[in-house]
Amino acid sequence: MSRTYDLSGRRRVRRRRASLKTGRRRITRGSLIAAGFLFSILTGVLLYFLPALQVALRDTGQVNTSLGGTAQLKPVSASEHLSTTSPFTLLLLGSDSDSKFNGDYLTQSMILTRVDPATKHVTMLSIPRDLWVRLCTGSNGKIDQAFLHGGAQCAIQTVERDLKVHVDYYAWIGLQGLVSVLNELGGVNVIANNPVMDDYYPADLSGGSPYDYERILVLPGAQHMSGTLALEYVRARHDDAYGDFARSQRQQQILIALRAKTKYTSIADIPTLATSLGSNFQTDMSIGEVSGLLPIAGSVPLNAITQVVLLPPYTSSVYVGGQDALMPNWALIRPEVAKYFPVAS
Amino acid sequence: MLICLMLASGLVANRTLAVLQTHTTAATIITTTSPQVKLPGTIYVSQEGSIYAISGAKVRRLGLPSGGDWTQPRVLADGSLIVIRRFDEYSDLYHVTSSGHVIAQMTANDQMSGKATLQLDHWILWPAIGPDGTSVFFATDAPKPAPNMSYEVDFSLWSAPLGAAFNIGDTGVTGGTRWSVPDLYTGGDIEAVPLRDGSLLYSSYANTGKGTVVTVLGLQTSPTSPMKALTTPQQDCGAPAVAADGVTVAMVCTNAGQTADLETATLAGDALGPLHVLVANCLCNSPSWSSTGNNLLYMNASNPDGNFGLWYLANATGAHPGAARRVSDSSVDLDATSAAAWSSR
Repeated sequence: MSRTYDLSGRRRVRRRRASLKTGRRRITRGSLIAAGFLFSILTGVLLYFLPALQVALRDTGQVNTSLGGTAQLKPVSASEHLSTTSPFTLLLLGSDSDSKFNGDYLTQSMILTRVDPATKHVTMLSIPRDLWVRLCTGSNGKIDQAFLHGGAQCAIQTVERDLKVHVDYYAWIGLQGLVSVLNELGGVNVIANNPVMDDYYPADLSGGSPYDYERILVLPGAQHMSGTLALEYVRARHDDAYGDFARSQRQQQILIALRAKTKYTSIADIPTLATSLGSNFQTDMSIGEVSGLLPIAGSVPLNAITQVVLLPPYTSSVYVGGQDALMPNWALIRPEVAKYFPVAS
Repeated sequence: MLICLMLASGLVANRTLAVLQTHTTAATIITTTSPQVKLPGTIYVSQEGSIYAISGAKVRRLGLPSGGDWTQPRVLADGSLIVIRRFDEYSDLYHVTSSGHVIAQMTANDQMSGKATLQLDHWILWPAIGPDGTSVFFATDAPKPAPNMSYEVDFSLWSAPLGAAFNIGDTGVTGGTRWSVPDLYTGGDIEAVPLRDGSLLYSSYANTGKGTVVTVLGLQTSPTSPMKALTTPQQDCGAPAVAADGVTVAMVCTNAGQTADLETATLAGDALGPLHVLVANCLCNSPSWSSTGNNLLYMNASNPDGNFGLWYLANATGAHPGAARRVSDSSVDLDATSAAAWSSR
């Protein structure tokens, strides 16, 4: 009996072990299959976002080139500013990045932007490119040269020191990048303020000599603008009563129109946008911060955007250093700027 | 089999993201209209350099010569059209049949002079037939300084006999009558509307001296009389169109904002009555009236990201206008800067 018992007990144990082995095998097989599917799905997703990741690793806050030209690693922050209700400042820089400049870019456009996620209010201050200031290098010059001398860090330092503000982030975009992004987004709807005409508009993006001219005309009123038309609208300045000031106002207008576009874009658009930007975009924001900015921008109502341009008497035309420039009246500018861009104590 | 399924799941994940991408499809060519709006007569609209004739729910494309990227049609009493065809750096006026066959080219503004003197080219835009049907009014960038003498290029208003070709040069329009002297570097004077009493209503851009360029509706009783402003710079009104009653003026006013209002007012002599808002906070542009009645057409985009379509308002001169109705499909993007022309035929 006991033998029989023993035998049946061993059999039961064997059966149990066999059953356990089979169960483990099933679990292992199932896990492997699940892992295989997961790996395959993740690979598919990764491949989809690969262009964006490549651009992000190259152009966003992973690598921050300092004034001295040495590269410093900046940790990827978990969008601390953008996930809270704290206001932050963003210096938007735009350059003529055509072949005339061989990579030595001036900033034709500098817009200091303050975003307050809590109140959903945005303030945009256009800094005239001809503003005569003390640059980060210590010498005096037009503020558009700061980027040329020391990249974004020099532009930030110059703006912070001269305007007595704090800059949290910067984003730089080249001409071709702006055109490509606007085209990828399907253009923007804008109300052109007046007929914008220029018989001496630079034909530097049409493939010929970068020193050629072309005639452009942007008609007034509400209309759909492609990337190229929007660029003409923000770049033309020769037949303009307010030259660079008017251009600055139009640049702010296109930014506001772009803000409306963010409501209609999704995370799936990021790879295409990243590819279209190519090497025409730099920022010190992390990927998380860039993606966190989009919903904030989209939620800002039109009437909660303050536009500031430093017209006379804040600036006055002068001839200095062998060139036409704008002399800042700091006594007027700094209190006004402090009102819109308060520095946290 | 399992490996194939895994690979397929990765592919599905990748393609799902691609499907989620915001698709910026090219604008659809207008081939039909909204079935609920069937308007009498024929309405001519402009899209990407072509003119389309809408008769009821049917749409046909006019057989204009190929080329050009923008058009502007106006209907003559005999059912033929005068048409602006715009190219990259100039535009020309044509007389065409209702099917688009060219009867005559009335201007030749391409000087074929190459890039060095492309400033010799001219724009001609916003044609309008005089009240007696024998003259055409238009805006052109003449006179202007010789090439390389100045950046100045602004629109002046002129009239010329209808039916004969005329020449636009840097000194003016041969055989034409000049009606306005523009405020320089603003874009100038545009959108002439000849009135029955021989006076001229138009949009005039002006430098405020305070950093902005605005537009007012201007009225002149003769080519040499001074312009009387009918609206204020603060209202920023333009794009006038006069109804068949000869006194109701439709216009678009931005009030210096980022959106527009479609408004009407009654013209009494040389004064304009109170403005009534027909459509508020819109991206409205280019109002035009039916030739015999009080029905109003205009261009509008239903949201900041949307296409510009043709919209219709019945009884727009009355105290109780009908509800705004979209004539073109939402997938169609029309040239919002080109007013539709409505023929009773």
